[in-house]
Amino acid sequence: MGDEVYSQLMKELSEGKFVFTGELEPEKAGDVEEPIKAARELVGLVTACNVTDNPQSFAYVSSLAAAYKIQLETGMECIYQLRCADRNRSALLSDILGAGVLGLKNILALTGDHVALGDTPDAKPVYDLDSTTLIALIRRVVDEGKDLAGNEIHNPPKLHVGAAAAPGAAVLKAELAKVRRKIKVGAEFIQTQVVYYTEVVDRFFKELGKVDVPVLIGIFPAKTYAQADFFDKYVAGVDVPPDYLQNMKETKAIKDKEKRKEEVDRVNIEFFTGFLEHLKDTPAAGCHIMAVGYPRIIPELKKVME
Amino acid sequence: MIAQEQKPIEEILGYLDGKQKVVVMGCGGCATFYHTGDKKAVKEMSERLRKEGKEVTEIILPLGVSACEIDMSSKYMEKKRRAIENADALLMMSCGDGVQVVAEYIEERIGATIAVVPANDALGLVGGGPRKFKETCQMCGQCELGKTAGICPLTACGKGLMNGPCGGVREDGKCEVDPEKDCAWVRIYERMEKLGELEDKFEVMREPHAWSRAKRPRLFEIEEPVKPVSAILGSLPSYLTLLGGPEYKEEE
Repeated sequence: MGDEVYSQLMKELSEGKFVFTGELEPEKAGDVEEPIKAARELVGLVTACNVTDNPQSFAYVSSLAAAYKIQLETGMECIYQLRCADRNRSALLSDILGAGVLGLKNILALTGDHVALGDTPDAKPVYDLDSTTLIALIRRVVDEGKDLAGNEIHNPPKLHVGAAAAPGAAVLKAELAKVRRKIKVGAEFIQTQVVYYTEVVDRFFKELGKVDVPVLIGIFPAKTYAQADFFDKYVAGVDVPPDYLQNMKETKAIKDKEKRKEEVDRVNIEFFTGFLEHLKDTPAAGCHIMAVGYPRIIPELKKVME
Repeated sequence: MIAQEQKPIEEILGYLDGKQKVVVMGCGGCATFYHTGDKKAVKEMSERLRKEGKEVTEIILPLGVSACEIDMSSKYMEKKRRAIENADALLMMSCGDGVQVVAEYIEERIGATIAVVPANDALGLVGGGPRKFKETCQMCGQCELGKTAGICPLTACGKGLMNGPCGGVREDGKCEVDPEKDCAWVRIYERMEKLGELEDKFEVMREPHAWSRAKRPRLFEIEEPVKPVSAILGSLPSYLTLLGGPEYKEEE
């Protein structure tokens, strides 16, 4: 890993600041107006935003195109998510080089949900590389100016690469061995899957052991009960505490829209204040807030860490 | 062996649309094993085709011989040469390899141009039995088993990852794609743990798989040609052992 810092994200992480990142989702559309609008609302609230690459294998606007436009039009630094599900190593390399050309500075290297789970289930799954070998490819491009086959790259891009981790993984020891493997090949930061239990965070850091890369814990303050319920029921490795679920469920009964919003915010602030207070006593370097379309909650969360 | 199942009859009839005289050919290899090209399956198919108004002019059953071993199976075809020459189509009850090997023989060696259509769908190279089978090898040309505790992740992992597990492992260690299937990488982890290979082999990155060895279609040549008779004779000592005969010993 080189010591050079190319992005605001890595700058703040290397300075030891507690960093907040957000998330933006391109849609199935011919424009990126929605994520641009969302990015504008997050400017000043988070250091950088992930731009998702076909989450759950639903095909949306390319995260490369979206991240470029968002960064250009809003000034929000983007963490370009890049998954192996849809591209072979040649296409991945092209996109990595393209990201550099377009001024992107951070890539989150992902394996990606299986295409059979998405909205185009007959598509051929690629997975020529996986998250580990994608990280290795990016590092080889940036550090050595070479691709996986050893071909020289003229004027290689300056990019940082991050990896995902799943603290709530069903078979945690195997997941942690994989996370250490990704760090060994050069991941420079970690963003985790959503976690609701502080016990899960503690176990993750304890069993991961000492690592020299910053870890941002993923959180998801739900805007509605349905969102929280979805995470609990359908997202692998994520459990939502019953009390939080129940409190969110009770907000559904509030007829007045404004009052309901206030109550949802209150439930989230109460829950996440405790969660974030706890994070202060862990090695967490920041928080990755995946609450898409819920920017008003972020200043409240940041207050806890100030 | 090549697992296979019969296609829906509507699909088969669709391929035979407009073809009146049909030769039905089975396979004495995998298709006999999986009952998709054995004597019974070929007989039932012929009856069905007759019911649909087709004229089944001949049945070819290469008993004990795989259709793809054309050097042997062609001897059965040669006996029914005239029927093949006069047919509108040959319905091949084997895997896709048998279909194509037989079609090529008919075209090039018999000198007849007739439609050779498939009756089955091949489902992969599988092992196990007698009822349940599992695909474990995809014949990629560059075996990775030495790096993965003898479990092929290219085949056993839904995503074919060389460096898993992915984040989609279910609570019970099953795959995100299919709750019926075990996560290959959890199996690899557990097996390496037992073998004491975790630190040396699990946490290191395996290089991306070299797909150049699977460049299709692959052609393959061996120096000593296949000799079915000597292969059978060569296997005899082990058959004898199986039947209670003397233990097979390596010759000095």
